[in-house]
Amino acid sequence: MHSNDRHEQELRLLQLHFIGKILAGFTHEAKNYLAIINESVGLMGDMVQMGKSSEKDLSEYLQIIRSVEDQIKKANEQFRALNRFAHRMDTELSSFNLNESIFELIALLTRLANQKKITLIKNFQEDLPSLYSNPSLIQFLVFSVLDEGLLKLEKDSRITIETAGVDQAVQIKIIPEGNVLEQESDVPSVPHEIVEMAIKQLHGNIVREGGGETLIVLPLTAS
Amino acid sequence: MKQAGIKVLIVDDEVALANTLAQRLKMRDLQVQIAYNGEEALSRLKQEEPDVMVLDLRMPGMDGMDVLKEVKKTHPHIQVIILTGHGTDKEEEEAKILGGFCFLKKPAEIETLAAKIKGAFSEKCAKTP
Repeated sequence: MHSNDRHEQELRLLQLHFIGKILAGFTHEAKNYLAIINESVGLMGDMVQMGKSSEKDLSEYLQIIRSVEDQIKKANEQFRALNRFAHRMDTELSSFNLNESIFELIALLTRLANQKKITLIKNFQEDLPSLYSNPSLIQFLVFSVLDEGLLKLEKDSRITIETAGVDQAVQIKIIPEGNVLEQESDVPSVPHEIVEMAIKQLHGNIVREGGGETLIVLPLTAS
Repeated sequence: MKQAGIKVLIVDDEVALANTLAQRLKMRDLQVQIAYNGEEALSRLKQEEPDVMVLDLRMPGMDGMDVLKEVKKTHPHIQVIILTGHGTDKEEEEAKILGGFCFLKKPAEIETLAAKIKGAFSEKCAKTP
């Protein structure tokens, strides 16, 4: 098999792996929301069975109801992010808002980052022009860089994701801040040559700077 | 020891879940404490030892499997029930090998959990001289 075909195959496999990782994180998050709702409703049932109906108890019932509403709201946000993420794959090229696509990616990766005690910070230029490009591949690209940071950084670190408009392009800057683990426990999920391949398909450019920062530049139109 | 006196430590970073679960288990005559992360759980063991630990796997910082390893090293008679929203077959197997009492997936029925806690307590009594 030609080396380019092999890399292309590897890129597709890693994209599938990325989608799997997003789904696993989402289902874990969704299960937690359902568990909280389940226990809250169960608690109300327990209280009703015990005949709890004082004013203090009624106040507690209201508190539990608010907690359930809060969990449903949070779950809905996650469902919305996943739905939008899934629909990014409807067509290869589309017109979209880069900030929104990265926002939903971060929403779906926040639990993973929290588990490693790493904070993801968004610093987006508000009036960024629309891109006509491959949103799903861009999400994969941003994920690849973020994942490398999540694997390398010690806990209590942070990663800032910045977007800005530049000439006829947009730039995404990913800035890790924190100490690097002495011994990384996992192999980086996406090899650099695959990242290079993805950026080439997007007609963009990637620069890895000395301090660990990564700068991705993408044309407004990737055709 | 009467089953009504069973001491349970819930270890879960989801505050709302841990608090509500604790309330419900207390209504079932269990004595319940909560730790919101692995480090806190291990620190609590030095102050007061529970009979049974209900342990989440995916937590920031020290994860559940590391907590299980440490508990089985320092307090081997504490029975540990894994209660997780994640839980692969591989993790279930690993928890069993490490000495976990049982492996439950969230959301779990409260009566099932309470029954498992009582079962774990009986196991502890049988094994403790």
